[in-house]
Amino acid sequence: MQMTYVFTELKQGLRRNVSMHLAVVLTLFVSLTLVGLGTLLKLQADHAEEHFGKINQVVVWLCNDASKASTCTGGVTPAQKAAILKVVQDNPEAKGSHVESQEVAFEKTKRLFGQQYQTKLPADFGPDDLRESIWIDLKDRHKADGIMSAVEGLDGVDSIRDSRGLVGPIFKILDRMQIGSLLTAGVLLMAALLLVANTIRLTAYARRREIGIMRLVGAGTLYIMLPFLLEALITAVAGVALAAAALSAFEYFAIIRGVSDLRLMPWVDWTDALLAIEAAAILGPILTVVPTLLLTRKYLKV
Amino acid sequence: MIRFEKVSKTYPGQDHGALDKVSVDIEKGEFVFLVGASGSGKSTFLRLILREHSATEGRVHVAGKDLNRLAGWKVPRLRRQIGTVFQDFRLLQNKTVAENVAFALQVIGKSRADVDRLVPETLELVGLSDKADRMPDELSGGEQQRVAIARAFVNRPMILIADEPTGNLDPATSLGIMKLLDRINRTGTTVIMATHDAGIVDQMRKRVVELAGGKVVRDEARGAYGYEN
Repeated sequence: MQMTYVFTELKQGLRRNVSMHLAVVLTLFVSLTLVGLGTLLKLQADHAEEHFGKINQVVVWLCNDASKASTCTGGVTPAQKAAILKVVQDNPEAKGSHVESQEVAFEKTKRLFGQQYQTKLPADFGPDDLRESIWIDLKDRHKADGIMSAVEGLDGVDSIRDSRGLVGPIFKILDRMQIGSLLTAGVLLMAALLLVANTIRLTAYARRREIGIMRLVGAGTLYIMLPFLLEALITAVAGVALAAAALSAFEYFAIIRGVSDLRLMPWVDWTDALLAIEAAAILGPILTVVPTLLLTRKYLKV
Repeated sequence: MIRFEKVSKTYPGQDHGALDKVSVDIEKGEFVFLVGASGSGKSTFLRLILREHSATEGRVHVAGKDLNRLAGWKVPRLRRQIGTVFQDFRLLQNKTVAENVAFALQVIGKSRADVDRLVPETLELVGLSDKADRMPDELSGGEQQRVAIARAFVNRPMILIADEPTGNLDPATSLGIMKLLDRINRTGTTVIMATHDAGIVDQMRKRVVELAGGKVVRDEARGAYGYEN
């Protein structure tokens, strides 16, 4: 297959419709960035959930050596823990539960502080400074009073945290932001699709004579479609590259240089940002190449 | 080479057919004029050979292939065996004469060596060797049609279809085009030409197939444009 023609056509096509291609690239850029941000918000929500517990959870903190609650006489004993677990398991409001050891709590704290934990925390800070906990999943997140009063006051229980009050607003904000960004992305992606369709229609019209001759002399379908497909791929790559840059900038300036000093919860890191960029990189080419495949068939009748 | 067996073609949304049980047999190397009033079915006949449309009924065989059964992806290969020339030339205005002819080879993936050999050879055949670097708008109508014929013939097709190739040309120029088509026919290429040009048909005395209302009303071996009384 001689590719000279394909590349000449590609160059001409890109030049001929430069404003249209720019419109596609910019729309793709904005919508893919929003898709990426939506992904990041989802991952942020996952981090929050991992850290705070789910919205329908109640966390029971068990005594450690430093606990000052009246139910604590030093660290919780295995017998006390077993008794508390029995109460939890027998309670009709609980769907299930799991125990988080002091070691797990320590790992979580280290993640929260990131690499700075060694400098920001006392040198002898270790698992023993943290409390073991029981995370109770509720059957119905509106019903927790029974189980809370049943556990409260048991020996070995330091305190109880009702995740619903603490985590609820955070999830609400994250959820709304996620829905907002994905909805906006959806509308923009529709716009991108329509722009791609228009570009193909214009190009097909501008090249109807060439295409007609190509069909007549027996050029293969793929050969006729190739300049269109490559154009679609190039606009997609440009859109994805811009979105990747924007998402990286967001990760660096808004998260790492921005909110990460607030030790509220673990924030999305570079691994998460990469995942968001991957989502954009997969979606971008699909959005331009698939309509091109469908529409060239329609407009070129190849 | 080309065989129509009781071929009917009805376009969607039309109640009477463009072709009605047409049976025609065209041998390899024949020169056939297709005549008839506008709307008689000439263009449909040519389109069926090119497999731009499929027959509603009956069978169309071209170069040994049953076109009703030909898979879509094999159509390009069929078309490489057929050259096509139109009344309006259909040249690419942004390409030179040589580039227009080369285009037909490049897009079917011929090697540069083939292009470099076949294009000058074909331009020589149509008598345009000295105008290879001209743009189409610098040429006369007759010369443009020669370029179109060169493009149709450069791949040495077994069949050449010409749809009113002299429709836009004066009689003297038309004669030149006919001589060229005749020369191509003598190389063994089957030529089918749809025309309204009575003078040419009468002069050439080739086989004439006349269509009227989608039916073959006349098929004469050495015919004239109209009935001779």
